[in-house]
Amino acid sequence: MDRVGFTTTIPLEILIAAGKIPVDLNNVFITSPQSHQLIEDAEIEGFPRNICGWIKGIYAVALKEGIREIIAVTEGDCSNTKALMEVLSLKGVATVPFAYPHDRDPQTLRLEMEKLMRHFGVERDAVYEAKERLDVIRRKVWEIDRLTWEENLVSGGENHYFQVATSDMNGDPDVFEAEIDAFLGELKNRRPYSDQIRLAYIGVPPIVEGLYPFLESHGARVVFNETQRQFSMPYGATDLVEQYRAYTYPYDIFFRLADILIELERRRVDAVIHYVQSFCFRQIEDMIVRSKIPLPVLTLEGDKPSLLDARSRIRIEGFLEMIEGRD
Amino acid sequence: MKLETRNSKLHIGIDLGSRTAKFALLEGENVVRLAAHDTITFYKRYGRVEGDDLILDLAASSLFSETEIEHAQITVTGYGRNTLNLRGAKVISEIRAHVAGALFQTGLRDFTLLDLGGQDSKVAQVRGGRLADFVMNDKCAASSGRYLENMASILEVSLEELSSHWEEPVRLDATCGIFGESELIGQILRGHPMANLCAGVNMTLVKRVLPMLKRFPSDRIVLTGGVARNNAMVRLLRKETRQEIVVPNEPQHNGAIGCAFWGLGLEARE
Repeated sequence: MDRVGFTTTIPLEILIAAGKIPVDLNNVFITSPQSHQLIEDAEIEGFPRNICGWIKGIYAVALKEGIREIIAVTEGDCSNTKALMEVLSLKGVATVPFAYPHDRDPQTLRLEMEKLMRHFGVERDAVYEAKERLDVIRRKVWEIDRLTWEENLVSGGENHYFQVATSDMNGDPDVFEAEIDAFLGELKNRRPYSDQIRLAYIGVPPIVEGLYPFLESHGARVVFNETQRQFSMPYGATDLVEQYRAYTYPYDIFFRLADILIELERRRVDAVIHYVQSFCFRQIEDMIVRSKIPLPVLTLEGDKPSLLDARSRIRIEGFLEMIEGRD
Repeated sequence: MKLETRNSKLHIGIDLGSRTAKFALLEGENVVRLAAHDTITFYKRYGRVEGDDLILDLAASSLFSETEIEHAQITVTGYGRNTLNLRGAKVISEIRAHVAGALFQTGLRDFTLLDLGGQDSKVAQVRGGRLADFVMNDKCAASSGRYLENMASILEVSLEELSSHWEEPVRLDATCGIFGESELIGQILRGHPMANLCAGVNMTLVKRVLPMLKRFPSDRIVLTGGVARNNAMVRLLRKETRQEIVVPNEPQHNGAIGCAFWGLGLEARE
């Protein structure tokens, strides 16, 4: 089967219906033992230092993995993706653009999805059949999320992993489902966490390693991973266009904030970590995040794949001490 | 017995900064002794690592007497905080140490704390004697004391000389502290007077910390860290922020004093 890469979440149902192996290039990049080297490879080829690490990682990993075709999300993510698409096409990689309409217009989104279906030669029925299959797995991941915040049985890192993996189901839905089942089985014997501080993690998934265990070693656990949860399509939408309209990540910050504010309250969150990627346009939106979220917000910045650095740890410790002192 | 009671009130605070290691000895709420050493030299002479622990041979350093070391509770903060534990000491975060120091030294309860150290710039909002929020420089240390040291050496003036000029600052715009050096060299060639060049360097630092200060509007800024000894910087900061600038008696030792004071508070809480 052919592998098809993508730069951020796309309607996965279409690739599954087409019998392709979906590859979320972000996941392959960040889980690679050579992730740091991949960034250097891209910089040696000419990517500027002051460009997002994810873009460079995606570029280098796509070439390293020999991916021949990529769906590039050109609207709804950053404009760097457009240039990424261009340089990859220079290397002989076929690129298929996909655009989330900024105004969430259903007709425009439907056209984009139909264009993608035509490209991969699939019909509506097959796509909905794929949705049914994927929804079975997604529901299990929703349960992992519920067990995280309601029953306190799941760590922030585990919650991150299972949700983030739903973007491409780790390339094999059946194997991924078996992994989820085994995990859910394990949870039956677990004792709940008794953490003092409940955190939300908002923003793109972290490029740095070790954040969740570090927080937990200080009595704080992430009970809400904003974007990762979005990848699992937790809306129960029956219509595919509605599902990808409800998906908050590609739309504006206010649409994302509406979802964030509901979850912060429902999950009884004490404080928020807003992760921003160095050189990302979303750093500007931090101003809006800070003014609209009625809880303490720590803005953490990550650049390249590495262990959580000493300065970030100092800032997290200070932040957690401040939260503890508020009681 | 009397000695025991008296000594139980001894608290040593240590702030292991990136440039200077600072020490404070408190007896109750009285500052008995303050000292500072170059961090690297101090580590080389008196420090070693065993496993994950940093061992400091305080007795050999002759900063404190054996009785003091034996009886004092030691509280430490600083750059080593995350990478190393200091054996036999209570380790606290830098922000906690600096806020405690500012509360102790100024007696104020509501203020914005600006701590400018060798590498760090921290801004903390203190309300009702408690830390409410804070920001720190993150990826870049161009807003720190080290920047002033570098620029003083380019200008071939002492830090004292640099710290005395605030009028008619020459404009310096580079974001990077290293590119800033060549920008400064360019301005030297243009023939600006040394005083204005020094003022320009001080002004650059003020401009770099202003966005952090704007996050926490308040009437009063407590300025600590080695940079607080720079009078020109204080004047420029007052002019730019139009706020009252309070510099405690011992700005550079604020973190070390804060550690000792925090230890004292901990004893009271326990």
